Amino acid sequence: MTALALSPDASKTTGHAPGAGWLFRLHRPALYVWIAVVAVLAAGLVWLWGPLTDSSAAAWREYNEFCIKRGSCHYDPDAIVRYKDVYGYTTGALTALPFVVAAWAGAALFGRELEHGTAQLAWTQGLSPARWLATKLIVPTILVTAGTGLLVTLHRLMWSAGDGRIDTAKSWYDNLTLHTNGPTTVAFALTGLAGGALGGVLLRRTMPALTFALTGVAATRFLADQLMPHLWPAVTRVTSLDDGYRSAGLGVDSGLVTATGAHIADPGCGPTSVSSTCKTVYDGLDATGFYTTYHPESHYWPLQLTTTALVVAVATALAVAAFVLLERATATPTRGGTEASV
Amino acid sequence: MTAVAAETPAPPGPARGSGADGRTAWGTLRTVLRLHRTALLVWAAVVPALSGWLVWLTEDAVKEELAAWESCQRASRDLCDISVGWIGYSQSLNWVGLLISYSFLAVAAFAGGSLIGRELENGTAGLAWAQGITPVRWLTAKLAVPALALIAGATVLVLVYRWAWGAHRTLTDNGWMSDDAYLSRGPAGLAYILCALALGVLTALLLRRALPALAVSVAASGLLAFVVAQYRGSFWPAVTRTSTATGVDLPDHAWELENGLLIHGRRTPDVGYWICDGTAAEARRCLDDLGVTGSYTTYHPESHYWPLQLVETGVVLAVAALATAAAFLLLRRRTATASAA
Repeated sequence: MTALALSPDASKTTGHAPGAGWLFRLHRPALYVWIAVVAVLAAGLVWLWGPLTDSSAAAWREYNEFCIKRGSCHYDPDAIVRYKDVYGYTTGALTALPFVVAAWAGAALFGRELEHGTAQLAWTQGLSPARWLATKLIVPTILVTAGTGLLVTLHRLMWSAGDGRIDTAKSWYDNLTLHTNGPTTVAFALTGLAGGALGGVLLRRTMPALTFALTGVAATRFLADQLMPHLWPAVTRVTSLDDGYRSAGLGVDSGLVTATGAHIADPGCGPTSVSSTCKTVYDGLDATGFYTTYHPESHYWPLQLTTTALVVAVATALAVAAFVLLERATATPTRGGTEASV
Repeated sequence: MTAVAAETPAPPGPARGSGADGRTAWGTLRTVLRLHRTALLVWAAVVPALSGWLVWLTEDAVKEELAAWESCQRASRDLCDISVGWIGYSQSLNWVGLLISYSFLAVAAFAGGSLIGRELENGTAGLAWAQGITPVRWLTAKLAVPALALIAGATVLVLVYRWAWGAHRTLTDNGWMSDDAYLSRGPAGLAYILCALALGVLTALLLRRALPALAVSVAASGLLAFVVAQYRGSFWPAVTRTSTATGVDLPDHAWELENGLLIHGRRTPDVGYWICDGTAAEARRCLDDLGVTGSYTTYHPESHYWPLQLVETGVVLAVAALATAAAFLLLRRRTATASAA
């Protein structure tokens, strides 16, 4: 058990509380894995941003220019498929990172130490429980923020490079791209970290804390997806029955508008320009047009930032709860100099 | 630390001496059940929860969309499926399908971390072996009990999903070969779950630490599924349809693997009729110049579902069997040297 790597002598003689060196010694493998994961994903995103985007865009340009308009057709379908595959893998991996952080924090960072009693041992050696928890939260917070922050920045740059040049590129409101292009992914990862702390302090066991943290991130992401469209005023656009829906963006609501201006459900018949028989359906409903309530792309940053603020607030609440719970659980026994009860 | 909840008859000497093999075997099973009761309860909650979700989706949640679709059908014959798959019912069905298909990742985490890794790391496995449970019997019970619980639960899930998936096909966009429906509708899904169990056990025996075993076992079973999925189309001979025209029609619900043109009778993939255009005569002349004699498509019709499923099941179960055999060999070798030392 390497948890004893804490050096009590040094801290006693200097009279200072130990810094963060013990944390790095204890979780060195995790640090190396994190650096490797960030490096590999960053390399993948840079590769995608430069060469793959260019070759895919070139293939699409050739396809649109020659295959559609002229006789001869030479384009590189492999370039298009390669871009799509690597985009899918990197975006999927970046989406999964907050879950990995949560599992690690719940299990390795907090749950395991509390289950094995190495945390309790550390508290008797000049490291107060609050300081122990603070160090365990602050250092990983910095590393996780730096790593995921770098990756979402690269993802954003990469996505922007392909926007409008690659016909099959993901839209800004595609669920995975929506989050991997902005700071919400960083906030989800921090929720995982704080959820791991709370799970560990609350349950004091490795696997339950892991499950708690994972469930926490999944629930936060689900709720954030539900709330996000309502965190900024949406735009409503009415289009004619002939045109059908014409707006592309993060949808909130859609349906038919009646002559009185009321919004009613869409029977799903489609625009009258496509199917004229639908006209009788719409006449029966007294409908005059389609409406869509949605967020255009200009709402991207307001939506991202409000959601990030909300998710960071959740993460902070989880961390505060962990501190309060730990304080309450350790207050009497450690002050009295006896072993903390497990 | 509930890991020491060994239910073996307390004094090892007399219990062995009485030769009560049946009792010891039953005791071992009870130990495993008791030790992993939380996981068992979670599984016992997940199976009815997912089944209930499916029943609710199919029987109740779909009503509104079904009514809308039917009224559209009455109004006009075609184009009613234009909005299918975007929203509500279809999307929820996809989610449940994905959860069932990839539940093997959670099984891998449990098998690597809790089932074996934790016990080896904490030394409770060694304690059990010292108390009248032989290592082989210990591992057999550790594999058999979860395997039975997983087979029972997963069979229920697969059967319920099959029923739900087939109930309103006009309202869904997930074909039989789609990621969320392929594994959740057949025995291959079950095979992946058993394989994840075996891989988790093997990884944990190799690494002897809970969290590294958890991580590696999830990664290994995920990688296996990814690799096997790349070869899925070649598990059964595909059908090729050729035509002298510039395009071939695919039958309904076919899974297309490749299409292209026949140039001097040779299949050239990813090239289409659009290499020539202009008036009909111009296009014809251009195609003749290139030597285009027709077009082809290679696909699996929906009737290939079962052969494909069964071959994939066989492949994955073979991997599971190999992993199980390796786990027993490893355990035997390790405990043999340990007792010799």
